[in-house]
Amino acid sequence: MEQVEKNVNNVENVPVIELRHVDKHFGELHVLKDINLSVKKGEVVVVIGPSGSGKSTLCRTINRLETIDSGEILIDGTKMPEEGRKLAGLRSQIGMVFQSFNLFAHKTILDNVTIAPMDVLHKSKKEAREEAMELLKRVGVDNQAAKVPAQLSGGQQQRVAIARALAMHPKAILFDEPTSALDPEMIGEVLDVMTGLAKDGMTMVIVTHEMNFARRVADRVIFMDDGSIIEEAAPEEFFEHPKTRRAQDFLNSVKAH
Amino acid sequence: MNNGQTSIRDALYEAPGPRARRWIAAGTAAVLLLLAALIYGVIHQFAINGQLDARYWSFFARYTTWRFIGNGLAGTLTAALTAGVITFFAGLLLMLGRISGIRPLEWLCTALIEFSRGVPTLLFIYFFFLVVPQFGIKLQPIWKIAMPVAISAAGVVAEVLRSGVNAVPKGQTEAAVSLGMQKGSVFFKIVFPQALRYVVPALISEVVIVLKDTTFAYVVNYADLMQNAKVLISNYDALLSVYLVVAIIYILINYILNKLSVAVARRGETAKPVRSR
Repeated sequence: MEQVEKNVNNVENVPVIELRHVDKHFGELHVLKDINLSVKKGEVVVVIGPSGSGKSTLCRTINRLETIDSGEILIDGTKMPEEGRKLAGLRSQIGMVFQSFNLFAHKTILDNVTIAPMDVLHKSKKEAREEAMELLKRVGVDNQAAKVPAQLSGGQQQRVAIARALAMHPKAILFDEPTSALDPEMIGEVLDVMTGLAKDGMTMVIVTHEMNFARRVADRVIFMDDGSIIEEAAPEEFFEHPKTRRAQDFLNSVKAH
Repeated sequence: MNNGQTSIRDALYEAPGPRARRWIAAGTAAVLLLLAALIYGVIHQFAINGQLDARYWSFFARYTTWRFIGNGLAGTLTAALTAGVITFFAGLLLMLGRISGIRPLEWLCTALIEFSRGVPTLLFIYFFFLVVPQFGIKLQPIWKIAMPVAISAAGVVAEVLRSGVNAVPKGQTEAAVSLGMQKGSVFFKIVFPQALRYVVPALISEVVIVLKDTTFAYVVNYADLMQNAKVLISNYDALLSVYLVVAIIYILINYILNKLSVAVARRGETAKPVRSR
Protein backbone atom coordinates (compact mmCIF):
# COMPACT_ATOMS: atom_id res chain seq x y z
CA MET A 1 0.00 0.00 0.00
CA GLU A 2 2.76 2.43 0.97
CA GLN A 3 4.63 1.53 -2.19
CA VAL A 4 1.65 2.15 -4.43
CA GLU A 5 1.04 5.57 -2.88
CA LYS A 6 4.63 6.56 -3.39
CA ASN A 7 4.58 5.54 -7.03
CA VAL A 8 1.47 7.55 -7.58
CA ASN A 9 3.02 10.56 -5.91
CA ASN A 10 6.04 10.45 -8.13
CA VAL A 11 4.04 10.87 -11.27
CA GLU A 12 4.34 14.52 -12.27
CA ASN A 13 0.78 14.76 -13.53
CA VAL A 14 -0.92 14.01 -10.24
CA PRO A 15 -2.51 17.26 -9.06
CA VAL A 16 -1.50 18.58 -5.66
CA ILE A 17 -5.13 19.29 -4.85
CA GLU A 18 -8.07 17.61 -6.50
CA LEU A 19 -11.78 17.95 -5.75
CA ARG A 20 -14.18 15.48 -7.34
CA HIS A 21 -17.92 16.06 -7.31
CA VAL A 22 -17.84 17.84 -3.97
CA ASP A 23 -21.24 18.73 -2.50
CA LYS A 24 -22.03 20.52 0.73
CA HIS A 25 -25.13 21.83 2.46
CA PHE A 26 -25.51 24.18 5.40
CA GLY A 27 -28.93 22.93 6.46
CA GLU A 28 -31.26 23.87 3.62
CA LEU A 29 -28.61 25.89 1.84
CA HIS A 30 -26.71 24.12 -0.93
CA VAL A 31 -23.36 25.89 -0.60
CA LEU A 32 -21.18 23.75 -2.86
CA LYS A 33 -22.70 22.16 -5.95
CA ASP A 34 -20.75 19.40 -7.66
CA ILE A 35 -17.39 21.13 -7.47
CA ASN A 36 -14.60 19.71 -9.62
CA LEU A 37 -11.22 21.33 -9.39
CA SER A 38 -7.64 20.29 -9.74
CA VAL A 39 -4.58 22.30 -8.95
CA LYS A 40 -1.25 21.30 -10.44
CA LYS A 41 2.12 21.68 -8.76
CA GLY A 42 3.32 25.27 -8.92
CA GLU A 43 -0.03 26.55 -10.13
CA VAL A 44 -1.68 29.69 -8.70
CA VAL A 45 -5.46 29.45 -8.78
CA VAL A 46 -7.45 32.52 -7.80
CA VAL A 47 -11.09 32.07 -6.78
CA ILE A 48 -13.35 35.09 -7.13
CA GLY A 49 -17.07 35.66 -6.91
CA PRO A 50 -19.71 37.63 -5.04
CA SER A 51 -20.02 37.19 -1.28
CA GLY A 52 -22.02 34.12 -0.37
CA SER A 53 -20.96 32.37 -3.56
CA GLY A 54 -19.24 29.61 -1.59
CA LYS A 55 -15.65 30.51 -2.42
CA SER A 56 -14.50 30.69 1.22
CA THR A 57 -16.30 27.44 1.99
CA LEU A 58 -14.58 25.83 -0.97
CA CYS A 59 -11.21 26.98 0.35
CA ARG A 60 -11.98 25.66 3.83
CA THR A 61 -13.18 22.24 2.63
CA ILE A 62 -9.80 21.56 1.04
CA ASN A 63 -8.16 20.94 4.41
CA ARG A 64 -11.41 19.80 5.96
CA LEU A 65 -12.08 22.80 8.19
CA GLU A 66 -15.52 22.28 6.65
CA THR A 67 -16.84 18.76 6.16
CA ILE A 68 -18.38 17.75 2.86
CA ASP A 69 -21.55 15.78 2.20
CA SER A 70 -20.34 13.84 -0.82
CA GLY A 71 -17.55 13.68 -3.33
CA GLU A 72 -13.88 13.40 -2.50
CA ILE A 73 -10.85 15.56 -1.94
CA LEU A 74 -7.38 14.27 -2.77
CA ILE A 75 -4.11 15.75 -1.64
CA ASP A 76 -1.25 14.63 -3.86
CA GLY A 77 -3.30 11.61 -4.91
CA THR A 78 -4.21 10.61 -1.34
CA LYS A 79 -7.82 10.83 -0.29
CA MET A 80 -8.45 13.17 2.63
CA PRO A 81 -9.54 10.97 5.57
CA GLU A 82 -12.34 12.07 7.87
CA GLU A 83 -10.39 12.23 11.12
CA GLY A 84 -7.43 11.16 13.17
CA ARG A 85 -3.70 11.08 12.66
CA LYS A 86 -3.85 10.70 8.91
CA LEU A 87 -6.06 13.75 8.55
CA ALA A 88 -3.68 15.78 10.73
CA GLY A 89 -0.80 14.48 8.63
CA LEU A 90 -2.40 15.59 5.37
CA ARG A 91 -3.42 18.92 6.84
CA SER A 92 0.18 19.58 7.81
CA GLN A 93 1.05 19.40 4.10
CA ILE A 94 -1.42 22.14 3.17
CA GLY A 95 -0.84 25.58 4.63
CA MET A 96 -3.67 27.93 5.38
CA VAL A 97 -3.77 31.71 5.74
CA PHE A 98 -6.94 33.19 7.23
CA GLN A 99 -8.76 36.46 6.79
CA SER A 100 -8.37 37.29 10.49
CA PHE A 101 -4.73 36.05 10.72
CA ASN A 102 -5.48 33.78 13.69
CA LEU A 103 -2.00 34.06 15.13
CA PHE A 104 -1.72 32.32 18.49
CA ALA A 105 -2.41 35.23 20.81
CA HIS A 106 -0.49 33.89 23.80
CA LYS A 107 2.72 33.12 21.90
CA THR A 108 5.46 35.39 20.65
CA ILE A 109 5.87 35.90 16.91
CA LEU A 110 8.83 33.52 16.91
CA ASP A 111 6.91 30.85 18.85
CA ASN A 112 3.97 31.20 16.48
CA VAL A 113 6.25 30.05 13.69
CA THR A 114 8.14 27.35 15.62
CA ILE A 115 5.27 25.64 17.46
CA ALA A 116 3.99 23.46 14.60
CA PRO A 117 7.41 22.35 13.28
CA MET A 118 8.31 21.31 16.83
CA ASP A 119 4.94 19.75 17.73
CA VAL A 120 4.12 18.09 14.41
CA LEU A 121 7.46 17.54 12.65
CA HIS A 122 9.36 17.02 15.95
CA LYS A 123 12.11 19.41 15.00
CA SER A 124 14.54 20.53 17.68
CA LYS A 125 13.97 23.95 19.18
CA LYS A 126 17.25 25.21 17.76
CA GLU A 127 16.53 24.03 14.24
CA ALA A 128 12.95 25.34 14.32
CA ARG A 129 14.12 28.73 15.59
CA GLU A 130 16.82 29.15 12.99
CA GLU A 131 14.42 28.33 10.21
CA ALA A 132 11.70 30.53 11.69
CA MET A 133 14.04 33.52 11.82
CA GLU A 134 14.91 32.98 8.16
CA LEU A 135 11.23 32.86 7.23
CA LEU A 136 10.43 35.95 9.30
CA LYS A 137 13.26 37.73 7.50
CA ARG A 138 11.83 36.63 4.18
CA VAL A 139 8.46 38.23 4.99
CA GLY A 140 10.17 41.25 6.57
CA VAL A 141 9.13 40.95 10.23
CA ASP A 142 12.24 39.38 11.78
CA ASN A 143 12.73 42.49 13.95
CA GLN A 144 9.37 41.77 15.67
CA ALA A 145 10.19 38.19 16.66
CA ALA A 146 9.99 38.76 20.42
CA LYS A 147 6.65 40.58 20.42
CA VAL A 148 3.17 39.12 20.79
CA PRO A 149 0.66 39.34 17.90
CA ALA A 150 -1.42 42.13 19.46
CA GLN A 151 1.60 44.44 19.24
CA LEU A 152 1.85 44.09 15.46
CA SER A 153 -0.09 45.80 12.69
CA GLY A 154 -2.55 43.74 10.65
CA GLY A 155 -0.21 43.61 7.69
CA GLN A 156 2.65 42.40 9.85
CA GLN A 157 0.43 39.79 11.49
CA GLN A 158 -0.67 38.44 8.15
CA ARG A 159 2.94 38.19 6.97
CA VAL A 160 3.77 36.26 10.15
CA ALA A 161 0.83 33.98 9.38
CA ILE A 162 2.35 33.29 5.96
CA ALA A 163 5.73 32.53 7.56
CA ARG A 164 3.97 30.20 10.01
CA ALA A 165 2.41 28.31 7.10
CA LEU A 166 5.73 28.15 5.21
CA ALA A 167 7.51 26.69 8.24
CA MET A 168 5.70 23.39 7.61
CA HIS A 169 7.07 23.18 4.06
CA PRO A 170 3.59 22.73 2.66
CA LYS A 171 2.88 21.38 -0.79
CA ALA A 172 0.33 24.13 -1.26
CA ILE A 173 -1.02 27.11 0.65
CA LEU A 174 -4.67 28.14 0.81
CA PHE A 175 -5.42 31.84 1.25
CA ASP A 176 -8.92 32.64 2.51
CA GLU A 177 -9.41 36.35 1.75
CA PRO A 178 -6.01 37.23 3.21
CA THR A 179 -6.34 41.00 2.76
CA SER A 180 -10.03 41.54 3.51
CA ALA A 181 -9.46 42.48 7.15
CA LEU A 182 -6.56 44.83 6.46
CA ASP A 183 -6.43 48.60 6.32
CA PRO A 184 -5.88 49.72 2.72
CA GLU A 185 -2.28 50.83 3.26
CA MET A 186 -1.30 47.37 4.48
CA ILE A 187 -2.76 45.32 1.65
CA GLY A 188 0.22 45.94 -0.62
CA GLU A 189 2.82 44.49 1.75
CA VAL A 190 0.89 41.23 2.08
CA LEU A 191 0.21 40.93 -1.65
CA ASP A 192 3.93 41.53 -2.30
CA VAL A 193 4.87 38.57 -0.12
CA MET A 194 2.28 36.43 -1.93
CA THR A 195 3.56 37.52 -5.34
CA GLY A 196 7.05 36.51 -4.21
CA LEU A 197 5.76 33.06 -3.23
CA ALA A 198 4.06 32.65 -6.61
CA LYS A 199 7.32 33.52 -8.37
CA ASP A 200 9.15 30.91 -6.28
CA GLY A 201 6.77 28.28 -7.61
CA MET A 202 4.53 27.76 -4.56
CA THR A 203 1.23 26.06 -5.34
CA MET A 204 -1.51 28.39 -4.15
CA VAL A 205 -5.29 28.63 -4.00
CA ILE A 206 -6.30 32.22 -3.28
CA VAL A 207 -9.77 33.51 -2.47
CA THR A 208 -9.65 37.26 -2.91
CA HIS A 209 -11.39 40.46 -3.92
CA GLU A 210 -8.18 42.05 -5.22
CA MET A 211 -8.83 41.97 -8.96
CA ASN A 212 -5.57 43.58 -10.08
CA PHE A 213 -3.61 41.15 -7.97
CA ALA A 214 -5.61 38.24 -9.35
CA ARG A 215 -4.86 39.34 -12.86
CA ARG A 216 -1.17 39.73 -12.18
CA VAL A 217 -0.51 36.54 -10.23
CA ALA A 218 -3.08 33.95 -11.27
CA ASP A 219 -2.37 31.13 -13.69
CA ARG A 220 -6.06 30.40 -13.69
CA VAL A 221 -9.10 32.26 -12.45
CA ILE A 222 -12.15 30.49 -11.09
CA PHE A 223 -15.41 32.38 -10.91
CA MET A 224 -17.97 31.06 -8.48
CA ASP A 225 -21.57 32.01 -7.95
CA ASP A 226 -24.32 30.39 -5.93
CA GLY A 227 -22.19 27.39 -4.95
CA SER A 228 -21.04 26.45 -8.44
CA ILE A 229 -17.97 27.08 -10.52
CA ILE A 230 -19.37 29.18 -13.37
CA GLU A 231 -16.23 30.00 -15.26
CA GLU A 232 -12.65 28.82 -15.32
CA ALA A 233 -10.11 30.58 -17.53
CA ALA A 234 -6.70 32.20 -17.83
CA PRO A 235 -6.75 35.66 -16.19
CA GLU A 236 -6.39 37.68 -19.41
CA GLU A 237 -9.24 35.84 -21.02
CA PHE A 238 -11.50 35.97 -17.98
CA PHE A 239 -11.05 39.67 -17.27
CA GLU A 240 -11.18 40.74 -20.94
CA HIS A 241 -13.80 38.36 -22.28
CA PRO A 242 -15.93 36.86 -19.55
CA LYS A 243 -18.23 34.32 -21.16
CA THR A 244 -21.18 34.23 -18.80
CA ARG A 245 -23.61 36.97 -17.95
CA ARG A 246 -23.02 36.50 -14.22
CA ALA A 247 -19.27 36.98 -14.56
CA GLN A 248 -19.82 40.07 -16.68
CA ASP A 249 -22.19 41.54 -14.09
CA PHE A 250 -19.78 40.75 -11.29
CA LEU A 251 -16.81 42.32 -13.05
CA ASN A 252 -18.85 45.42 -13.88
CA SER A 253 -19.99 45.83 -10.29
CA VAL A 254 -16.40 45.50 -9.08
CA LYS A 255 -15.15 48.01 -11.66
CA ALA A 256 -17.89 50.48 -10.80
CA HIS A 257 -15.97 51.99 -7.87
CA MET B 1 -17.57 45.76 22.33
CA ASN B 2 -14.16 45.40 23.92
CA ASN B 3 -13.38 47.56 26.93
CA GLY B 4 -17.10 47.46 27.70
CA GLN B 5 -16.48 48.56 31.28
CA THR B 6 -14.69 51.78 30.48
CA SER B 7 -17.19 52.73 27.82
CA ILE B 8 -20.11 52.28 30.24
CA ARG B 9 -18.18 54.35 32.77
CA ASP B 10 -17.52 57.01 30.20
CA ALA B 11 -21.17 57.10 29.24
CA LEU B 12 -22.29 57.43 32.87
CA TYR B 13 -19.68 59.89 34.07
CA GLU B 14 -19.00 62.85 31.88
CA ALA B 15 -16.49 65.40 33.13
CA PRO B 16 -18.16 67.33 36.01
CA GLY B 17 -19.02 71.02 35.54
CA PRO B 18 -18.71 73.75 38.22
CA ARG B 19 -22.00 72.97 39.96
CA ALA B 20 -21.31 69.24 39.92
CA ARG B 21 -17.87 69.93 41.42
CA ARG B 22 -19.50 71.87 44.29
CA TRP B 23 -21.88 68.98 44.94
CA ILE B 24 -18.97 66.52 44.93
CA ALA B 25 -17.04 68.69 47.42
CA ALA B 26 -20.07 68.92 49.72
CA GLY B 27 -20.69 65.18 49.45
CA THR B 28 -17.06 64.39 50.24
CA ALA B 29 -17.16 66.53 53.36
CA ALA B 30 -20.43 64.99 54.56
CA VAL B 31 -19.22 61.40 54.08
CA LEU B 32 -15.91 62.11 55.82
CA LEU B 33 -17.79 63.59 58.76
CA LEU B 34 -20.05 60.56 58.93
CA LEU B 35 -17.06 58.21 58.85
CA ALA B 36 -15.35 60.10 61.67
CA ALA B 37 -18.54 59.92 63.73
CA LEU B 38 -18.82 56.18 63.06
CA ILE B 39 -15.24 55.49 64.12
CA TYR B 40 -15.67 57.63 67.22
CA GLY B 41 -18.91 55.83 68.03
CA VAL B 42 -17.29 52.38 67.76
CA ILE B 43 -14.30 53.33 69.91
CA HIS B 44 -16.61 55.01 72.38
CA GLN B 45 -18.74 51.90 72.66
CA PHE B 46 -15.61 49.79 73.10
CA ALA B 47 -14.49 52.12 75.90
CA ILE B 48 -17.85 52.11 77.63
CA ASN B 49 -17.97 48.32 77.60
CA GLY B 50 -14.40 48.01 78.76
CA GLN B 51 -13.21 46.41 75.52
CA LEU B 52 -10.21 48.72 75.44
CA ASP B 53 -9.00 47.34 78.78
CA ALA B 54 -5.38 46.29 78.71
CA ARG B 55 -6.30 42.67 79.60
CA TYR B 56 -8.06 42.26 76.23
CA TRP B 57 -5.08 43.52 74.25
CA SER B 58 -1.90 43.02 76.30
CA PHE B 59 -1.38 39.37 75.23
CA PHE B 60 -0.93 40.60 71.65
CA ALA B 61 2.42 41.98 72.82
CA ARG B 62 3.64 38.45 73.49
CA TYR B 63 5.65 36.48 70.96
CA THR B 64 3.85 33.23 71.84
CA THR B 65 0.49 34.73 70.89
CA TRP B 66 1.71 35.63 67.44
CA ARG B 67 3.44 32.28 67.01
CA PHE B 68 0.14 30.61 67.80
CA ILE B 69 -1.69 32.85 65.34
CA GLY B 70 1.09 32.19 62.83
CA ASN B 71 0.62 28.42 63.24
CA GLY B 72 -3.09 28.87 62.64
CA LEU B 73 -2.40 30.97 59.58
CA ALA B 74 -0.03 28.30 58.27
CA GLY B 75 -2.79 25.73 58.81
CA THR B 76 -5.27 27.88 56.94
CA LEU B 77 -2.89 28.46 54.03
CA THR B 78 -1.96 24.77 53.85
CA ALA B 79 -5.59 23.71 53.81
CA ALA B 80 -6.50 26.40 51.26
CA LEU B 81 -3.59 25.54 49.00
CA THR B 82 -4.29 21.79 49.18
CA ALA B 83 -7.99 22.38 48.52
CA GLY B 84 -7.13 24.86 45.76
CA VAL B 85 -4.91 22.42 43.87
CA ILE B 86 -7.47 19.60 44.17
CA THR B 87 -10.23 22.00 43.08
CA PHE B 88 -8.32 23.05 39.99
CA PHE B 89 -7.60 19.54 38.74
CA ALA B 90 -11.05 18.21 39.66
CA GLY B 91 -12.59 21.21 37.90
CA LEU B 92 -10.40 20.62 34.86
CA LEU B 93 -11.42 16.97 34.67
CA LEU B 94 -15.13 17.80 35.07
CA MET B 95 -14.84 20.47 32.37
CA LEU B 96 -13.03 18.10 29.98
CA GLY B 97 -15.71 15.49 30.59
CA ARG B 98 -18.45 17.99 29.96
CA ILE B 99 -17.01 19.05 26.59
CA SER B 100 -15.77 15.57 25.62
CA GLY B 101 -18.46 14.92 23.02
CA ILE B 102 -19.20 11.54 24.66
CA ARG B 103 -22.82 11.99 25.64
CA PRO B 104 -23.11 9.78 28.77
CA LEU B 105 -19.84 11.24 30.10
CA GLU B 106 -21.18 14.73 29.43
CA TRP B 107 -24.36 13.94 31.38
CA LEU B 108 -22.36 12.46 34.25
CA CYS B 109 -20.05 15.48 34.48
CA THR B 110 -22.93 17.93 34.18
CA ALA B 111 -24.70 16.12 37.04
CA LEU B 112 -21.54 16.13 39.17
CA ILE B 113 -21.00 19.83 38.49
CA GLU B 114 -24.58 20.66 39.53
CA PHE B 115 -24.21 18.47 42.63
CA SER B 116 -20.96 20.18 43.58
CA ARG B 117 -22.43 23.63 43.09
CA GLY B 118 -25.77 22.89 44.72
CA VAL B 119 -24.77 21.23 48.00
CA PRO B 120 -23.53 23.46 50.86
CA THR B 121 -19.89 23.03 51.87
CA LEU B 122 -20.83 22.13 55.43
CA LEU B 123 -22.75 19.09 54.21
CA PHE B 124 -19.69 17.80 52.37
CA ILE B 125 -17.67 18.40 55.54
CA TYR B 126 -20.11 16.39 57.66
CA PHE B 127 -19.87 13.64 55.06
CA PHE B 128 -16.09 13.45 55.38
CA PHE B 129 -16.21 13.94 59.16
CA LEU B 130 -19.07 11.58 60.05
CA VAL B 131 -19.82 9.23 57.16
CA VAL B 132 -16.42 8.39 55.70
CA PRO B 133 -14.98 7.15 59.06
CA GLN B 134 -17.92 4.74 59.36
CA PHE B 135 -16.46 2.83 56.42
CA GLY B 136 -13.27 2.40 58.40
CA ILE B 137 -11.39 4.99 56.38
CA LYS B 138 -9.15 7.05 58.62
CA LEU B 139 -8.40 10.48 57.26
CA GLN B 140 -6.07 13.09 58.71
CA PRO B 141 -7.82 16.33 59.69
CA ILE B 142 -6.32 18.23 56.76
CA TRP B 143 -8.09 15.93 54.27
CA LYS B 144 -11.33 16.18 56.21
CA ILE B 145 -11.31 19.90 55.51
CA ALA B 146 -9.46 20.13 52.16
CA MET B 147 -11.45 17.43 50.35
CA PRO B 148 -14.98 18.71 51.04
CA VAL B 149 -13.98 22.33 50.42
CA ALA B 150 -12.41 21.28 47.11
CA ILE B 151 -15.42 19.22 46.11
CA SER B 152 -17.78 22.08 46.76
CA ALA B 153 -15.65 24.48 44.68
CA ALA B 154 -14.77 22.12 41.81
CA GLY B 155 -18.13 22.53 40.07
CA VAL B 156 -17.82 26.29 39.91
CA VAL B 157 -14.22 26.02 38.69
CA ALA B 158 -15.29 23.56 35.97
CA GLU B 159 -17.87 26.04 34.71
CA VAL B 160 -15.44 28.97 34.94
CA LEU B 161 -12.87 27.02 32.91
CA ARG B 162 -15.52 26.02 30.39
CA SER B 163 -16.55 29.64 29.90
CA GLY B 164 -12.87 30.44 29.31
CA VAL B 165 -12.52 27.68 26.73
CA ASN B 166 -15.66 28.91 24.97
CA ALA B 167 -14.27 32.45 24.90
CA VAL B 168 -11.19 31.46 22.90
CA PRO B 169 -11.96 32.39 19.29
CA LYS B 170 -12.58 29.47 16.96
CA GLY B 171 -9.90 30.77 14.60
CA GLN B 172 -7.23 29.76 17.11
CA THR B 173 -8.29 26.12 16.88
CA GLU B 174 -8.64 26.31 13.11
CA ALA B 175 -5.14 27.73 12.73
CA ALA B 176 -3.65 25.00 14.93
CA VAL B 177 -5.59 22.25 13.18
CA SER B 178 -4.60 23.53 9.74
CA LEU B 179 -0.94 23.26 10.76
CA GLY B 180 -1.48 19.55 11.37
CA MET B 181 -1.57 19.67 15.17
CA GLN B 182 -3.53 16.88 16.83
CA LYS B 183 -6.48 17.32 19.20
CA GLY B 184 -4.51 17.04 22.44
CA SER B 185 -1.85 19.49 21.30
CA VAL B 186 -4.45 21.92 20.02
CA PHE B 187 -6.26 21.90 23.35
CA PHE B 188 -3.36 21.97 25.78
CA LYS B 189 -0.92 24.13 23.79
CA ILE B 190 -3.27 26.59 22.11
CA VAL B 191 -6.78 26.72 23.59
CA PHE B 192 -6.35 26.02 27.30
CA PRO B 193 -3.48 28.45 28.00
CA GLN B 194 -5.55 31.24 26.46
CA ALA B 195 -8.72 30.14 28.28
CA LEU B 196 -6.81 30.35 31.56
CA ARG B 197 -5.81 33.94 30.87
CA TYR B 198 -9.44 34.88 30.37
CA VAL B 199 -10.56 33.35 33.65
CA VAL B 200 -7.66 34.03 36.04
CA PRO B 201 -9.60 36.80 37.84
CA ALA B 202 -12.62 34.50 38.30
CA LEU B 203 -10.36 31.67 39.46
CA ILE B 204 -8.71 33.88 42.06
CA SER B 205 -12.14 34.92 43.35
CA GLU B 206 -12.81 31.21 43.75
CA VAL B 207 -9.55 30.85 45.71
CA VAL B 208 -10.88 33.52 48.08
CA ILE B 209 -14.05 31.46 48.56
CA VAL B 210 -11.99 28.32 49.17
CA LEU B 211 -9.89 30.18 51.71
CA LYS B 212 -12.97 31.41 53.56
CA ASP B 213 -14.51 27.93 53.43
CA THR B 214 -11.49 26.54 55.30
CA THR B 215 -12.85 28.32 58.41
CA PHE B 216 -15.12 25.27 58.71
CA ALA B 217 -11.96 23.53 59.95
CA TYR B 218 -13.20 23.86 63.53
CA VAL B 219 -15.82 21.21 62.70
CA VAL B 220 -13.13 18.61 62.04
CA ASN B 221 -10.62 19.82 64.69
CA TYR B 222 -8.08 21.00 62.18
CA ALA B 223 -5.87 23.78 63.56
CA ASP B 224 -6.49 26.68 61.22
CA LEU B 225 -6.49 30.39 61.98
CA MET B 226 -10.10 30.33 63.13
CA GLN B 227 -9.62 27.30 65.35
CA ASN B 228 -6.56 28.83 67.01
CA ALA B 229 -8.43 32.09 67.43
CA LYS B 230 -11.06 30.17 69.41
CA VAL B 231 -8.34 28.79 71.68
CA LEU B 232 -6.99 32.30 72.30
CA ILE B 233 -10.48 33.53 73.04
CA SER B 234 -11.10 30.92 75.69
CA ASN B 235 -7.61 31.33 77.18
CA TYR B 236 -7.78 35.08 77.56
CA ASP B 237 -11.54 35.52 77.64
CA ALA B 238 -11.11 38.09 74.87
CA LEU B 239 -13.68 37.61 72.17
CA LEU B 240 -13.85 40.92 70.36
CA SER B 241 -10.17 41.78 70.18
CA VAL B 242 -9.15 38.35 68.88
CA TYR B 243 -11.89 38.22 66.26
CA LEU B 244 -11.00 41.73 65.17
CA VAL B 245 -7.34 40.83 64.64
CA VAL B 246 -8.23 37.57 62.86
CA ALA B 247 -10.69 39.35 60.59
CA ILE B 248 -8.02 41.86 59.64
CA ILE B 249 -5.63 39.01 58.75
CA TYR B 250 -8.30 37.40 56.51
CA ILE B 251 -9.05 40.73 54.88
CA LEU B 252 -5.34 41.31 54.22
CA ILE B 253 -4.84 37.92 52.58
CA ASN B 254 -7.92 38.25 50.40
CA TYR B 255 -7.05 41.83 49.52
CA ILE B 256 -3.64 40.66 48.32
CA LEU B 257 -5.29 37.89 46.28
CA ASN B 258 -7.65 40.38 44.66
CA LYS B 259 -4.81 42.77 43.85
CA LEU B 260 -3.02 39.80 42.33
CA SER B 261 -5.97 38.93 40.12
CA VAL B 262 -6.19 42.51 38.86
CA ALA B 263 -2.47 42.51 38.08
CA VAL B 264 -2.66 39.19 36.27
CA ALA B 265 -5.73 40.28 34.31
CA ARG B 266 -3.92 43.41 33.22
CA ARG B 267 -0.88 41.45 32.12
CA GLY B 268 -3.11 39.16 30.09
CA GLU B 269 -4.65 42.05 28.16
CA THR B 270 -1.86 42.20 25.59
CA ALA B 271 -2.07 38.49 25.03
CA LYS B 272 -5.69 38.43 23.95
CA PRO B 273 -6.39 37.90 20.28
CA VAL B 274 -7.07 40.93 18.18
CA ARG B 275 -10.43 40.56 16.55
CA SER B 276 -10.67 41.98 13.10
CA ARG B 277 -13.66 44.29 12.65
